Amino acid sequence: MRRINPDLLFLLPGLFFIALFYLYPVAVIVVRSLLAEDGGLTFARYLKAFTAPAYLEAWRNSLWFVTASTLIAALGGTFVGYWTAKLPLRLKNLLLSFYSIPVTLSGLVVAFGFIVLMGRNGVFNQILLALGLPRLFNVYSWGGLLSVFPFYNIPLVALVMTPVFEQVGRELVEAARASGARGFAVWRYVLIPNILPGILAGSSVVWALMMGAFGTALAITGFAKNLLALQIYSLVSESSFDLPQADALAVVLMATSGLGLWLLARWERRWRR
Amino acid sequence: MRALGWLLFVLFLLYLFLPLLAPVVYSFSVVWQGILPQGFTLEWYRRVLSDPQYLPAVKLSLLIAFLSVLINVVVGFPTVYAVYRLSGRVGESARRVLQILPLLVPPILVGLGFLQAFNRPPLAFSGTLWIVVFGHATLGFPFFFRSVYAGLATIEVGPLMEAAAASGAGVLARLRYVLFPNVLPSVLSGALVVFAISMGEFEVTSMVAGFGTITMPLLLFQMLREDFRIASAVSSLLVYTTLLALFGMTLARRR
Repeated sequence: MRRINPDLLFLLPGLFFIALFYLYPVAVIVVRSLLAEDGGLTFARYLKAFTAPAYLEAWRNSLWFVTASTLIAALGGTFVGYWTAKLPLRLKNLLLSFYSIPVTLSGLVVAFGFIVLMGRNGVFNQILLALGLPRLFNVYSWGGLLSVFPFYNIPLVALVMTPVFEQVGRELVEAARASGARGFAVWRYVLIPNILPGILAGSSVVWALMMGAFGTALAITGFAKNLLALQIYSLVSESSFDLPQADALAVVLMATSGLGLWLLARWERRWRR
Repeated sequence: MRALGWLLFVLFLLYLFLPLLAPVVYSFSVVWQGILPQGFTLEWYRRVLSDPQYLPAVKLSLLIAFLSVLINVVVGFPTVYAVYRLSGRVGESARRVLQILPLLVPPILVGLGFLQAFNRPPLAFSGTLWIVVFGHATLGFPFFFRSVYAGLATIEVGPLMEAAAASGAGVLARLRYVLFPNVLPSVLSGALVVFAISMGEFEVTSMVAGFGTITMPLLLFQMLREDFRIASAVSSLLVYTTLLALFGMTLARRR
C-alpha cells in the first residue's frame, strides 16, 4: 500500500472551504434553476431567459458592453504597460502599487468619484459651462459607463503587461533586425508572439469580471441600463423577486462568461506555441 | 509621437487619480457646487464617526473584515502549504483552479448561491452576520492564496521543515513555529488585501445581508441617494483603508 503524504491532510480545510463556499452554492443555483415547484424538472426559466425581450436585450447589451470594455482595457492596458515599463525602477514600483488600488477599492467609491466629476452638475460640466460650452459629460449614459469601467480594467491589464514589456525590450527587436527581419516581420514574428499572450490573459480577467459586475453600474444608473447582471440582481432584490429565474439567468451568465474565457484561452495557447 | 505618448500616459494617470481625489476633497469641503469646493470642515467625518445612525456601520464593517481575514489565515495558510507540497501536475492544476475560480464564479453568483444554499439547518446563516463574513472570506480566498503562495515560493521550504523535523518538532509545531514566521510578511500582505476587499465589498453584501446588517458600502449606497456629504466621508474612509492596506503591504514586502 502507498503511504499517504501527511502534508496532504493540510489540504482538507481548503478543499472543504472550496466545496462549501464555491461548489455547493453554484450547484444549488443550477439545481434550483431546473427544479419545478412540484419537484419535477422544468426548462421554463431557460425558455423565458431566451425568449423574454427584456432578458434577450440584457444579454445582448452585456455582450457588446463587456466586449467593448474588454477591447478598451486591452488597448489601454497595453499602452499603459508599455510606458510604465520604460520608467525608472522606483517610479515604476510606485505606479504598479497605484495600479493595484482598483482591485481592492469599493466600486461604490469609484461611482461616487465619477458622479462628482462627470455628473450633470459635476466639476467637468461646470468647467464647460463656465467656458460657454454645453454639458458634454454624462456619466449616466452608456458612454459614461464605458468611461468609468476602464478605471478598474486598464490598471488590471497594465499590471500584466508591464513585466511583459520589461522582457520584450529593445534588445529583442534589435536582435531580430540584426538577423534580417524587417518591418512587418519584426511585428509578426517577434513582438506580437511575445506580447499577445499577456494581452489575452489580461483580457480574460477583464472579460469575466465585467460579465458579473453590477455594483458600480447600479450606483450610477440604477436599473436604467439593462445588463444581465443587473437583471439577476433585480430578481433578487426588487419587487420582481424570483430566485429560480435569477438562477437560470445566472447559469446563462456563467456559460457566456465561460465561453469567452475558453475562446480567449484557445487563442492564447496558439500564440504560446 | 513620443511626446504624444507621454501626454496620453499622464492623462491616464490623472484619470486614475481624480476619482480617488474627488471624494476626499468633497469630504473636507463645506459645499461643493461650482467648479471649486468651498470652505474646510471635519463635520462630515464627525457625523459618520459619532452619529448612532452611521457609526454602527463602521464598527460592523471592521468586525466583518477582521473575521474574514481570520478565516482566511486559519483555512488558507495550511491550504497554501499543502498545495505547495503537491508536486507536479496535481499542484499545478490546483493552482490553476484557484486562479480561475473567482473568474468563473463572480460575486453575483456567490451572492445568489449563498442566498439559497445557507437558509436551512444545519447551514442556516441567512440574514445573520456570518453569511456576510463567509461571503467576504470566499471572495478574498483566491487573493490570500496567491499572496501567501508567492511568499512561500521565495523561501527554502523543504530544508527548513526537515531541519525542524530533525530537531523533533511535530508537523503542527513546524507549521506554526517554523514556517509561519518565515512567511509572515506575505501572510500579512494577503490579510491586508482580504481586509480591504471586505471593507469595500458591496455586491455580495447587498444580496445576502439582512436588514440589520448595514455595512459601510451599504450605507454609502443609501447615502448616494440621500446625502452626498455623508457619502463623501464614507467614500473617503474607504479610500484611506485601501491606501493604508497598500502601504502596509509595501512595508511587509520590504522586511
